[in-house]
Amino acid sequence: MIGEIRKKRLVEAMLEAGLDGLVLYGNAWQNDYLRYAADFGILEGEGLAVVTRDGDVTLYLDDELEGERAAVECPEVKTVIADDLVGTVSGVVARLGNSRIAAGPKRHLPYGLAARRGDLRFEDATALVDRLLMVKSADELNAVRSAARLADEGYAVFRNAAAAGKKDYELIAEIESFFRNEGVDDNFMIIGVGGPEVRGMAPPLGKVLKPGDLVTTELTPCVNGYYVQICRTLVIGEPNEAQRKVFGIYNDALEAGLAVVRPGVTAADIARAENDIFRAHGLGEYVTSEYTRVRGHGLGLFPDTKPHILEDVTTVIEEGMSLIVHPNTYNPEIGYFVHGDSLIVRADGPEILTKTPRELFSVGVRRAAA
Amino acid sequence: MRHGLIQWRENELSLADVKARQARLQQAIAAAGLDGVLIYTNHVRSAGVTWVSGFTPYWSDGLVLVLREGLPIFLTALSKRVGEWVKSVAPTFEVAHSPFPGKLAGERLARVGAKRLGVVELDRMPGGVVDEILSILPVELSDVTDLFTAVRGQADRAELDLVRHTDTIAREAFKAGDVASKSAGDFTGPVERAVRLAGAEECYVAVAPDLSRDRRFIRTGRAELGRTFAVRLSVAYNGVWVRRVDTFSSVSEIGARLSSVSAALDRASPAHPVDGSISAFYLPDGARLLDWHIEAPYGTRPLKVVADAETPLAAPVPYAILTTAFSLDGETIVASRPVGLGDISLREAAE
Repeated sequence: MIGEIRKKRLVEAMLEAGLDGLVLYGNAWQNDYLRYAADFGILEGEGLAVVTRDGDVTLYLDDELEGERAAVECPEVKTVIADDLVGTVSGVVARLGNSRIAAGPKRHLPYGLAARRGDLRFEDATALVDRLLMVKSADELNAVRSAARLADEGYAVFRNAAAAGKKDYELIAEIESFFRNEGVDDNFMIIGVGGPEVRGMAPPLGKVLKPGDLVTTELTPCVNGYYVQICRTLVIGEPNEAQRKVFGIYNDALEAGLAVVRPGVTAADIARAENDIFRAHGLGEYVTSEYTRVRGHGLGLFPDTKPHILEDVTTVIEEGMSLIVHPNTYNPEIGYFVHGDSLIVRADGPEILTKTPRELFSVGVRRAAA
Repeated sequence: MRHGLIQWRENELSLADVKARQARLQQAIAAAGLDGVLIYTNHVRSAGVTWVSGFTPYWSDGLVLVLREGLPIFLTALSKRVGEWVKSVAPTFEVAHSPFPGKLAGERLARVGAKRLGVVELDRMPGGVVDEILSILPVELSDVTDLFTAVRGQADRAELDLVRHTDTIAREAFKAGDVASKSAGDFTGPVERAVRLAGAEECYVAVAPDLSRDRRFIRTGRAELGRTFAVRLSVAYNGVWVRRVDTFSSVSEIGARLSSVSAALDRASPAHPVDGSISAFYLPDGARLLDWHIEAPYGTRPLKVVADAETPLAAPVPYAILTTAFSLDGETIVASRPVGLGDISLREAAE
């Protein structure tokens, strides 16, 4: 069972670091730390997992409905419903006494938990857990591969649903319905519709698709806790010359980024390979933070995990990581454009997971009327 | 992640509605001798900021600082590009960007010479944010969850209208489900599609797949459906969350009886008072109550259990969701409905 494998790795890492306990926070937005230890996909409220060096894991949840669900979905983990989550877990930690306890992720750890720990303080577990999240076991990578199939199938559903006259949120409805039918419990997804006025993606705004529009999306289905992403752009009607030309640049940038991926390079090397293509076309301004966030990122129990693929991130790429390379950014001629594929880093290079053709898809305007 | 339709709908929740809420909170801030109140938001703990601004983040997080006077300030690490989207869906506050939103809060507090800052759910605030604030200004922090709950507990017409509308979305969406479905996902896929086509901001589905064995809800779409099963829809629309549970059966006679019970609950629920109790007249004749609880918006939580058979309601709530489990004619039935939606003018008069 994948949860047991993760727990074993976690406890080994704790012992290696000389830790007696771990306190891991999670909510539905940032669930990776909590899920690594407790194998529960929290949806509402907040949770804390307490892990001891002998491998005992207790999951504390503040939401009664979630507590009920956890008892059914992960019966192997002891679950405690605690309305006063911080007070309850502080009491548990206090009973562990003057031992070495680390907590993470540091940024999200509740203020009250640290305040009640006082002078004893928590050590920062962020680096320890981040490494486990980034470099995955063989079983985790198999789960990632399963999610990739659904990312491709999901994009096919998206493409088939897109048509002039449809509203952006209607496409989301089709995708989510498909994913629920397939047993996919979660999906991170944003969308952009329009032309040069579109500077990024967001949740749907109620825009109506019209001929000539670019429709961009990131689809990120989650299977057994593991996310895989695909980024593609389609055009309502036949692409114009500018759209074809720009697609070529983004496709070259994606391929350049993928060509660099192998153990030993850094995240910066991948980003630089992508960005050099834009710079060669006089588009260097558009790979800066004013127009884009990242040139890819890690994938796993969180849809946007480390390492972030940026020219100033020196994290070394290792075998067993799963990533997406996506040179997504704004283009002044045609608007925001996305194009990216997920991969697993193997000893001999990238294993590309998403198989959807790298095309600028065209959706016939006539289909719209139908 | 929130990925349904998010937009500003002036006809449903107006700028005037939101400004009235902000003014009520600012009065309470002044009355408590505070310089301001800080409310945290992410898409899980969105309710406080949504109430005071109409805004819900689709991902990442942020803070809203409400000072005694002026527009609230949304402080976020999100980029300025995303900030343009934020402004387009919530024209109710100033948007300020920083990789360290806590520091930015400290700077804004320093600008007005603040000494006392109230924080909604201080214990739960990300520790890094508190450290950032205190690194700029050694302000006195206090937990103001009770103050906020008291202000927020007062219902307004816009919110109650949105609750009714959201419940209607859920009720109509259930019609898309095929009771003969073999697996949970087969039933819930079309239902979720209908919810989202109706313009919902978010939809969570959970299923108790076989009520003859277990009435606990799970999320897996692979579960095989039994003779009677219950589906829980948690729907967000324009910042308001409603839960609706209905029980279904593939056996036509049982299904017809369940439909009749559901319709009776729909008639009785809106006027059911939110006083932390359940009326003896609420359930159908012959029903035997097994369990019940009441959920309501609380602090930053969109819905939280605030009362049940053992726990009385501690503070007024703007509206609530009453969940009951009961047996009737040998079948276990689970149902959730919004309650406390009676005539707003009567409620306002009472308050």
